[in-house]
Amino acid sequence: MPTIRFTTSDREVEFAEGDDVNLLRVAIRNDCGIPFKCASGNCGTDRVRVEAGAENCSTPRRRERERLGELFDQGYRLACQTYVSGNVTVAWDPEQVGLDEGSKVYDKLRQVWLAKDDGG
Amino acid sequence: MAELLSKPAFREALENAIKGREAKNASFSQAWANGELSREHFARWAENHYHYVGPFADYLGYIYSNTPDSATDAKDFLLQNMYEEELSDIRHTDLLIRFAEACGTTRERVMDVDNATAVTRGLQGWCYAISMREHFAVATAALVVGLESQVPSIYRRQYPVLLEKYGFTEEEVEFFDLHITSDEIHGERGYQIVLEHATTPELQERCLQLVRHGAEARFSYTKALYDTYVSPEPSVANPAPALA
Repeated sequence: MPTIRFTTSDREVEFAEGDDVNLLRVAIRNDCGIPFKCASGNCGTDRVRVEAGAENCSTPRRRERERLGELFDQGYRLACQTYVSGNVTVAWDPEQVGLDEGSKVYDKLRQVWLAKDDGG
Repeated sequence: MAELLSKPAFREALENAIKGREAKNASFSQAWANGELSREHFARWAENHYHYVGPFADYLGYIYSNTPDSATDAKDFLLQNMYEEELSDIRHTDLLIRFAEACGTTRERVMDVDNATAVTRGLQGWCYAISMREHFAVATAALVVGLESQVPSIYRRQYPVLLEKYGFTEEEVEFFDLHITSDEIHGERGYQIVLEHATTPELQERCLQLVRHGAEARFSYTKALYDTYVSPEPSVANPAPALA
């Protein structure tokens, strides 16, 4: 059976041959420790470095490509956006936080709260 | 009286409660995935879907208000889910309206509940009733496991067709792209909350019942779209000629 190896937490999870599974969902279900927040491809908290098996990961869609930018070329994927269909090994920085600073997420919140301030 | 199921057994029972009732197998979903629908059909779908998913943060808000302080994990999940629906990026209903407009309908038509079928209005009413009246674990089972967790399996079949056959841009169909992945995680976290907080046989039984009802409701809603817009029955006003 295909196996996802989570190097940072020293965990392995097998899944059925022929399936393709969402990487973050597998991690959450099996307590593999990938940090995450939005799970929508916005915050980037769940970025992982694919150490092996990149060819078994789904083709990234627009949201993931735009969020990762040059990190994608360095071998990173967003776990929430990635489906896996064969053996893959991933790692991450356990201390990592989101890529949010200056992002549209904060811009949007800022707009909401500034609008409230303006309204008195 | 039924015994309390172990978490693995309860999870399997929840998954089985959806089987045979999956909305991905309803006639409208199948026709969509097979490329048999037109942009006009997608427009009618959007005019209905808005009234099911538009109030989703409202449904979650009612569940939140019924969740005790001690269930911090459940409250955090509900709040995060509401935030993502409304504020974390482009409002999800605005993404739906963007798709609707690309299909030739208007924001006004989408927001007008008179353009939804009676079955759609019934699904919306069911969601409100369950979220207001049921134990938070049961309501989470119904709405997140029974309804929301099905989304990836539906949209993963429909999204490629929209790009490849109908020529929509990635921006026009972002609604689908977003929900394929976000609802994987919402669904998984929903399962975890239900497994953690349905702590009596009665609660587990009620969860299973309402997951079944939710799956049936979503199936019926989707089938009704086909019956109404793709293959309608002859109207009463113009009945088919009676056989001699």
